[in-house]
Amino acid sequence: MTNDKSEPAILGFFCHWCCYAAADAAGVARFQYPPNVRVIRVMCTGRIDPIFLMDGFVNGADGIFVGG
Amino acid sequence: MVVGGGIAGIQASTDLADAGFYVYLVESSSAIGGVMAALDKTFPTNDCSI
Amino acid sequence: MKVAKQPRYVNEEKCTACGVCAIYCPVSVPDPYDENLSHRKAIHISYTQAAPSSYAVDPNNCLFLNRQECKQCTRTCQAEAIDFDQRPEILSYDVGALILSPGFSSFNPSRSGSYNYPDSPNIVTGKEFERICCASGPYVGKILRPSDLKRPDKIAIIQCVGSRDKTSGNPYCSSVCCKYAVKDAIVALEHEPDLDITIFFMDMRMYGKGFDVFHERAKAGGVKFVRSRVSNIKENPETRNLALKYAAEDGSLREDTYNLVVLANGLEAPQGNSTLALATGTRLNRYGFCETSLFSPLDTSREGIFVAGAFQGPKAIPDSVIQAGGSAASAAELLTSARGTLVTEKEFPEERTDPDESPKIGVFVCHCGKNIGGVVDVHEVKKYAETLPDVVTVEDNLYSCSQDTQVLIRDTIIEHKLNRIVVAACTPRTHEPLFQDTNREAGLNKCLVEMVNIRDQCSWVHMHEKDAATRKAKDLIRMAVAKASLIEPLPEPIVKVSPKGMIIGGGLSGMTAALSLARQGFECYLIERSLELGGNLRHTYFTLEGPDPQEYLDQFIREVRNHDNIHLFSDASIEKIEGFVGNFKTVLSFGDAENRKRVEIEHGIIIIATGAKPFEPDEYLYGSHEKVLIQQTLEKKLALQEIDAGTLNHIVMIQCVGSRDETHRYCSSICCGQAIKNALKIKELNPETEVTILYRDVMTYGFNEDFYDLARDKGVMFIRYEPDQRPRVEDLDGKLRLTVRSPLMKEDLVLDPDLLVLSTAMVPHENRTLVEQLAVPLSSDQFFLESHAQLKPVDSYVDGIYLCGMAQFPKPIDERIAQAKAAASKAAILLAKGYVKTEPIVSSCNTDKCIGCGLCEYFCPYSAIRITKMGKLKKAEVISAACKGCGVCASYCPTRAIDMGRFTDDQITAQIRAFGEKH
Repeated sequence: MTNDKSEPAILGFFCHWCCYAAADAAGVARFQYPPNVRVIRVMCTGRIDPIFLMDGFVNGADGIFVGG
Repeated sequence: MVVGGGIAGIQASTDLADAGFYVYLVESSSAIGGVMAALDKTFPTNDCSI
Repeated sequence: MKVAKQPRYVNEEKCTACGVCAIYCPVSVPDPYDENLSHRKAIHISYTQAAPSSYAVDPNNCLFLNRQECKQCTRTCQAEAIDFDQRPEILSYDVGALILSPGFSSFNPSRSGSYNYPDSPNIVTGKEFERICCASGPYVGKILRPSDLKRPDKIAIIQCVGSRDKTSGNPYCSSVCCKYAVKDAIVALEHEPDLDITIFFMDMRMYGKGFDVFHERAKAGGVKFVRSRVSNIKENPETRNLALKYAAEDGSLREDTYNLVVLANGLEAPQGNSTLALATGTRLNRYGFCETSLFSPLDTSREGIFVAGAFQGPKAIPDSVIQAGGSAASAAELLTSARGTLVTEKEFPEERTDPDESPKIGVFVCHCGKNIGGVVDVHEVKKYAETLPDVVTVEDNLYSCSQDTQVLIRDTIIEHKLNRIVVAACTPRTHEPLFQDTNREAGLNKCLVEMVNIRDQCSWVHMHEKDAATRKAKDLIRMAVAKASLIEPLPEPIVKVSPKGMIIGGGLSGMTAALSLARQGFECYLIERSLELGGNLRHTYFTLEGPDPQEYLDQFIREVRNHDNIHLFSDASIEKIEGFVGNFKTVLSFGDAENRKRVEIEHGIIIIATGAKPFEPDEYLYGSHEKVLIQQTLEKKLALQEIDAGTLNHIVMIQCVGSRDETHRYCSSICCGQAIKNALKIKELNPETEVTILYRDVMTYGFNEDFYDLARDKGVMFIRYEPDQRPRVEDLDGKLRLTVRSPLMKEDLVLDPDLLVLSTAMVPHENRTLVEQLAVPLSSDQFFLESHAQLKPVDSYVDGIYLCGMAQFPKPIDERIAQAKAAASKAAILLAKGYVKTEPIVSSCNTDKCIGCGLCEYFCPYSAIRITKMGKLKKAEVISAACKGCGVCASYCPTRAIDMGRFTDDQITAQIRAFGEKH
């Protein structure tokens, strides 16, 4: 990731059926948003083990976005 | 053959195709979806209609 | 069949829907998708998710087609998809069955002159308001009014515009407007909680499953309901506000001003209905909709041609979906011998077995024309990807999805002996299946592909931050490569389906479903708890629409009994149901008590058609006074001439007994029609008998509105009562005395009827054991719960179990028949296929780690995991065929014994680690 602390590194966990689809729709509509989120697709937010969130912070995430 | 590609036509076509029949779906506009595709939300969960 | 195909002037195969043509197209026209509230270009796509995902040229507005100028689109399209040489074609097809589903047209309110539409911009139709509320609509989801794009604080919604209105030519009820008005009000309040919304209505027709609760929710949310027909709307030319004139229920004239008025306009027969009827040789009804009859609601007047959706009569989405399934079943019955003869499944070479070796990853980066390449520096990304571990080769492609690139990917896999590929392009939601197929053509398992979304979620949303977008693309590819080195080939679990059905319940719905399956060539077991078939229809002696139900029933029962494919068990009870989709085992007992037999049957699917029964109340002297009956009893006594209408002076009927109150919160949909049917019968037998119906809202939706009109013409009195001022009944020395407060006259009316007839709710049978055996959920009103209210109205939450008829919710005869056929249609899909193939995204359990705690079984929403005995130990077992891949089990498993195919703990952890690596 960049070392620029003014841009927080965000890790996203997006549900395939809703939030991931919504993020695609945002693209189709050309909504512009900050480029500092990195998305991991899961089939459902039910898949997200709390350990994943801890892991995310350990690996340098400044924030985690769970979208479902 | 199914005439009209709104929600009813799409559903009838997919049911028939899934059941092993060859289906022609005929639609007068440039895309299927009909009126439902223009609805904002649907009852009762107010899900997006698309 | 001959079909005229109009040119779209865009080659669908080549068009990538990138939208560059529309950016350059100079012609801007009102966008019909947004009800003309916004603009689009002459070359356009109807809406972003449109299928086919391809642009089309509007021939009425294109400069080139009209004036031979421009062709900007041809010049700017990199995919060379624009083709002005296309010409209209007449295509000819031989088909075995035809289904008509052309939908409906919306009533144009300019035809009711008093509402000033479309001259006042702040008077909009229901569909216009849908677009105004929609996030993808003209005001991106902000509630604004068209005249000045300001927030309308006070909104009026007017019902029955072009419905229930003889002057507009549409005396029928459009069935859906009350429901969509309430939805619109609730949605608008979700956007702006302090809006002041008033709905002006005649009757709130919130019949059907869940709708009355929805109505109550709107009331609780502050939506005001005024029972009145607005006579006139006047616009203030300065403020553009709208003054509504109406008569309140007490007769006083009122005037109120609103910022925005929504006309809940009704549904009409679709444009082109006469042409379609002529072309297909089918008949239209008196209102221009397709002609059908009560007991064959999906058959047009011509054999082999069926109808579905609003063309059959105004209806909401779930009813359209149900009819669509039903007409598909009807077509399938006709075409049974052709099943499977014209469709082929694609074949692939045998899968290579070497992917277990160390990972050899190929990365394919897509330019998507300028869509990605214009923002992300693809060459830099390519160079970066070459440095990542396990990556053997990296290619960049102009369009990764094009046919020639598929050949290139396949050849590259073979040449470099790749065993995993990463495609950095658009979204896996639309394109993953394509690359999975390419993998299979190269002999790789379909799961050995990982997609990176560098278009929809990168280049398109960071168009002005090219460096940051390039960095993001690199990060995402690094994360995907990390995951890809851990992905594994997975089999697609295949479960065989026993090609037989079991239908529980031998009423109208159950028999209809059984007969449809039988006609489609499948054996089925029809289970009926009583001795006789027919259910509620056995107690139906006449119908509003005319056809004789008993005659129909006799013939129908004969057909069911005589069909070789139907095995009937009457006087039967279900003792045990085991198994899962495709493989159910049921133990039944049947026959009389002394001779009761047991039998075990195997079947692939279950259709629940257990029906409903009339509620027997303990109010209004029911059960204690012999002159107080329920409607069903009255119908029977009239039919069997146990009541002599000639001797009756006055009959009073009370609607909504045990309905729409704390006993049962829903409207049962059929009781108003039933009351009017009996009232008309009495009037037919003796026009002198007075009939008074005490009601809350008359629910004669669709074309049944005609019978409401007819009843009033015949002199049936309708008196409304408020739910908190219900009629009171007294027994005066054996005579009935009824007192009711009329909201219209604001005084008590006293009636002395000879008979009091109660229209009671329809309630589900006592099904507790069955519900436990099936492990399917019920809805809050205790009917069986469908898995999606709109789109899956006959699927239960458990795969292979379907619902229909009044077991799902009370509904009239034609809707029961359609739904039973729809359930048969869904069931036949499974039975015809003979197997269920599931996506490899299913959970699996490592029984060495499993401690049998049962958390997974408890949390699984689909009953797809269960605890079984394995030797002496309890272990979790996954039923792959029922698993939907959500992964709840895996995240709750305390020992991490459960993992998800394609989304394993290790893979996700690798992605997270790669996220943290710097580049």
